[in-house]
Amino acid sequence: MEKHIHYCTRCVMPETKPDLHLDQDGVCSACRNFENRQVIDWDARERELMSILDRYRSKDGSNYDCIIPVSGGKDSHAQVIKILELGMNPLCVTASTDMLSEIGRQNIENIKNLGVDYVEMSVNPAIRRKINRLALTQIGDISWPEHVAIFTIPIHFAVKFNVPLIIWGENSQNEYGGPAAAVSDQVLTRRWLEEFGGLLGLRVSDLLLEDGIEPKHLIQYTYPSDVDLQRVGVTGIFLGYFIPWDGYANALLAQAHGFTTYHKTVEGSVVNYENLDNHQTGIHDYFKFLKFAFGRATDISCLHIRRDRLTRVQGIKLVKKHDGKFPWEYLGKSLEEILAPLDMTVEEFIRICDRFTNKKLFVRDANGRLVKDKHGNLTRINDDNS
Amino acid sequence: MKKVAILEYGMGNVDSVFRAVEECGANPVITCAEAEIKNADCIILPGVGAFGDAIQNIRQRRLDEMVAERVLDRGIPFLGICLGMQLLADKSYEFGEHRGLGWIRGEVVRLQQDSPSVRIPHVGWNEVCPEVDSPLLQGIRPGKDLYFVHSYHFVCERAENRLATTPYCGGFTSIVGEKNIFGVQFHPEKSQRAGFQLLRNFLAL
Amino acid sequence: MLKVRIMPTLLYRDFELVKGVGFDSWRGVGSAMQAIRVYNMREVDELIFLDITATREERDPDFELIDDLADECFMPLTVGGGVRSLDDVRRLLDVGADKVAINSEAVRNPELIREVAQRFGSQCVVVSIDVRKQASGRYEIFTHSGHRATGVDPVVFVKEAARLGAGEILLTSIERDGAMEGYDLVLIQQVSEAVDIPVIASGGAGIYEDLYKALTIGNAAAVAAASIFHFTEQTPLAAKDYLYSKGIPVRF
Repeated sequence: MEKHIHYCTRCVMPETKPDLHLDQDGVCSACRNFENRQVIDWDARERELMSILDRYRSKDGSNYDCIIPVSGGKDSHAQVIKILELGMNPLCVTASTDMLSEIGRQNIENIKNLGVDYVEMSVNPAIRRKINRLALTQIGDISWPEHVAIFTIPIHFAVKFNVPLIIWGENSQNEYGGPAAAVSDQVLTRRWLEEFGGLLGLRVSDLLLEDGIEPKHLIQYTYPSDVDLQRVGVTGIFLGYFIPWDGYANALLAQAHGFTTYHKTVEGSVVNYENLDNHQTGIHDYFKFLKFAFGRATDISCLHIRRDRLTRVQGIKLVKKHDGKFPWEYLGKSLEEILAPLDMTVEEFIRICDRFTNKKLFVRDANGRLVKDKHGNLTRINDDNS
Repeated sequence: MKKVAILEYGMGNVDSVFRAVEECGANPVITCAEAEIKNADCIILPGVGAFGDAIQNIRQRRLDEMVAERVLDRGIPFLGICLGMQLLADKSYEFGEHRGLGWIRGEVVRLQQDSPSVRIPHVGWNEVCPEVDSPLLQGIRPGKDLYFVHSYHFVCERAENRLATTPYCGGFTSIVGEKNIFGVQFHPEKSQRAGFQLLRNFLAL
Repeated sequence: MLKVRIMPTLLYRDFELVKGVGFDSWRGVGSAMQAIRVYNMREVDELIFLDITATREERDPDFELIDDLADECFMPLTVGGGVRSLDDVRRLLDVGADKVAINSEAVRNPELIREVAQRFGSQCVVVSIDVRKQASGRYEIFTHSGHRATGVDPVVFVKEAARLGAGEILLTSIERDGAMEGYDLVLIQQVSEAVDIPVIASGGAGIYEDLYKALTIGNAAAVAAASIFHFTEQTPLAAKDYLYSKGIPVRF
């Protein structure tokens, strides 16, 4: 039953990416969306953005004009710089990551120094680790709780501080492709969160099935009630809808404002300027590879190919070299060190990896077992259309 | 770790039972070989399908003799699941008349609707209500739902073999027992927490 | 008393789980293994897993995949898609399916229902039919994932299927599927009335009340649902709380 993986004929994304479609020319929906950017009236969009900001700007400076969810990364920097330029007074909110790296800490402090009020909300680490472990074993996504927190904690602060406007960076469905209906959607509703927030079918209520986790531990993970959301009038917009978004341009802008990059290529990626804050990200990206046969190197290469910074041929080579490598190390920490707080051994981790691997997408031996090289790396059944 | 022989006779969801027993912390093996049966600490007989075919397959493989030696003579614990429970009877009337193992006195007959809205086969989760205190039901709330899927049921000749009943089609026997021999009409391997508790209880005998 | 069942349905195509609207506009919803594990964690009543392109692509069920998934599944699992022979059924049961759903082939060759029931028992045969409501108001069974008209009336067919030994009927309304605007209650009622075997209603659940109606007005023995669990914050457990509060016997 050996299938063939089809790849976009323009970028290097495989069709196995959830919600990605290849049209009759073999071009993927993400590339088509990027194409559509040429026909967008960006001036009109910028005007629309300005009018929204004007509506929400505080009349007398007694409250913040907006909330910006930030991680400290390149995009966060770019968002904050832009919003300050547009004359807004933001409250920056960080939902602390699982395992903050040194460089991540430096970059968070750097954003503060851009001149903003800043809240760092960290959650009970003992509970968080339980949830990381649960999410990794049950759905193969160690970053699930971080993902929920990113979409929930800023909303809590919006309600608590009575600041209705939340300004996100990019609509992750737009650049990376997604169901057509969501592409033009720039407002974050609860329904949007459930459909597109990447919750993978796991709900916060499932956590209560676990020993030692009670509702009182999940306050920051629980989305505010519709009543509260209505009262404050919480709404979210994606800057990526109003401004042509480019992660690399954001990186340049961020670096010009004190952002620190990693001293070498980040493991499993092809660049050094993103995903620098959380040591667990390597595991998260690896599982994406196991399930869908593409990793961070593919993501980044596609972004650059679309903007003619890389050719497709170069992309194929970079992906072959970097994508889907077993995450023995991430940002200088070893896998053992990263797994230790989760009370997990590398052996158990490997078993979980195998459980979630979509075996059909990788080379196997005559007995149907996955073929791994001496570092534990898998090989995709095909790396390009033949 | 207890060695559990799960009997293979070409009919039955042996894999599911295997996985469940494994999850319960025992050491299962799927087998119809004499050596492994002799070696086992306890025996499970799963069963999905028709009585006639099942008993024929069992006799063909001489499983009835091999197991009788361990269970009736040596008294090691035995658990029949679903059809495996029914096979313990003297006879069954499913598609004709068939002679069973006869290790617990009784007959297997078709469920009868006790009202027009009742559907057969009996599929789904239903209450298991104990008639007596049984080690199998330790730690399981009386009336707990377990998973059933069957059209026939076991009618015990002797009341003391009837360990639990279920309210459906006028009430039928859902657990039978005679000393070290047990039969459950429901599927513990598919009944999640309660089912696993029952399996653990059995493995602890 | 026998409890009603809520059965999340997983539709599988190529490499991933999908969900559609009216058997069209398919969207990916993640990996099968992940979904199985989540539902297992939630201890749902039963799970239905259907390979939606096997018949149209004229290929066998993916036994290897089912083997892997069944290993993680500690509740009753019904598997369907591309089941065409006694051997297919045997192999699926061997790798861990508890029940096998037969769709296109059951209509094309109803004798298969009898053969499977006799060989493996009625309790493991689920006859699955996908039904379209025509402009005239009449219902018609479609096979091959909704692509092939058969001219067959579902009420007539289910009676025959039950007679041949089917254990349950899985009844799906094609146009309601994925729309999340309620089940086709008339269809469910007609089919439930026509047979004495359990009928599982599928296609259209959007809110918990829809499940309630299918079980009461429709008189279904169980409800199957997919979109409501993939795309909204509603869960099978909360659905049971709702049903329980309305006096429906559910399992906790």
